[in-house]
Amino acid sequence: MKALLHIIEFALARVLLFFFDHLPYRLNCLISKGAANLWWWVDFRRRRVARDNILRSGVETDPKRARAIAKRSIQVFSMLVFESLRSDKFLEGEKWRDHVKLDIKPDVLEVLKDPNQGLLMAAGHFGNWEIAGHLLSRYKPIAGIARNMNNPWIEKLVQSRKARARFRPIPKYDSNSGRLMEVLNEKQILALLFDQHAGSYGMMIDFFGHPAATYKTIPMLHLVTRTPICYVECIRTGPMQFEVTTSHLIQKTLSGNKDEEVRSILEQLNQHLETTIRKDPTQYLWAHRRWRD
Amino acid sequence: MNDTSKEEELIAKLKIIIEGCATDPIDLSNFSTSTKVQEIGLDSLTILDMFYDIEQETGISIEQEELVDFRTVGDITTLLINKGA
Repeated sequence: MKALLHIIEFALARVLLFFFDHLPYRLNCLISKGAANLWWWVDFRRRRVARDNILRSGVETDPKRARAIAKRSIQVFSMLVFESLRSDKFLEGEKWRDHVKLDIKPDVLEVLKDPNQGLLMAAGHFGNWEIAGHLLSRYKPIAGIARNMNNPWIEKLVQSRKARARFRPIPKYDSNSGRLMEVLNEKQILALLFDQHAGSYGMMIDFFGHPAATYKTIPMLHLVTRTPICYVECIRTGPMQFEVTTSHLIQKTLSGNKDEEVRSILEQLNQHLETTIRKDPTQYLWAHRRWRD
Repeated sequence: MNDTSKEEELIAKLKIIIEGCATDPIDLSNFSTSTKVQEIGLDSLTILDMFYDIEQETGISIEQEELVDFRTVGDITTLLINKGA
């Protein structure tokens, strides 16, 4: 029964991908928006989480306007999925220059061009983080943690799409705990999203003035391997138009006070993300439960 | 101090470090040079914590290449002894 369900899901995914690959871009945009609207009306729990998160962050104080931002945020996320699936076509060769404005700080560029250095790329669930990864993979192969699909056939399909952009997914529940260090040891880019709820593994760091359990993985990898960190944002500025901007390198000297060093790095990253979100709150994925107190 | 007693001292130190880093209860009753790090049940973050604390406790800097080259507790103690711990 499970196998049959997997086959049906896979067939549906192939059909959807066929349309995504062959229908005109604008029609695909409409379909993505329609799917997002459907999700918005069906998933009332996430709808409420998104609205409450926006109000709590203070980027909007009026509940009606917060609701509008939340709805738009779901639509942007739906576009992210579609545009990421099409990104290999839009970004192949030199075509990317027509779609992406790239602002890489000189110190980051130096690391990207140095075959003897790896890079920790930190991003939040903002804009299209997949495009940012795709672009930076032009400099070095990139690896990132990705949750495996329950359906092995769809998982294979997803992998085949991502492999084109020199992206190597690391399973979320990898049995080899040294896998992340291997990526850095191979002087590649390790891309990690840092704004998920970290539970008991995290450190409480203010996000929009409210403590949020934040993963310590990025700062700890930096402190132990000395690999520099850079924050990356990818703002969607129009249909298949993006601005990818990096911060300067974030680097700490070991002082012996581990907690303070970790806290300092995470505070910097959260501040970067807050600044990014304030530029356009509709591009942040508010629907995930960042605060769980 | 000879290498054997140095190794024993480092094992004792490592045991304390790992107990301090672990977020979940772990069983270190059979902790020895042949203990495989994976088998202790440490997650990746705890391993990073462990290496940070090893560097701070021993004053020895571990290179990035050396971080991926260990399988057992013995690999770590040998590395530290070779680096002058």
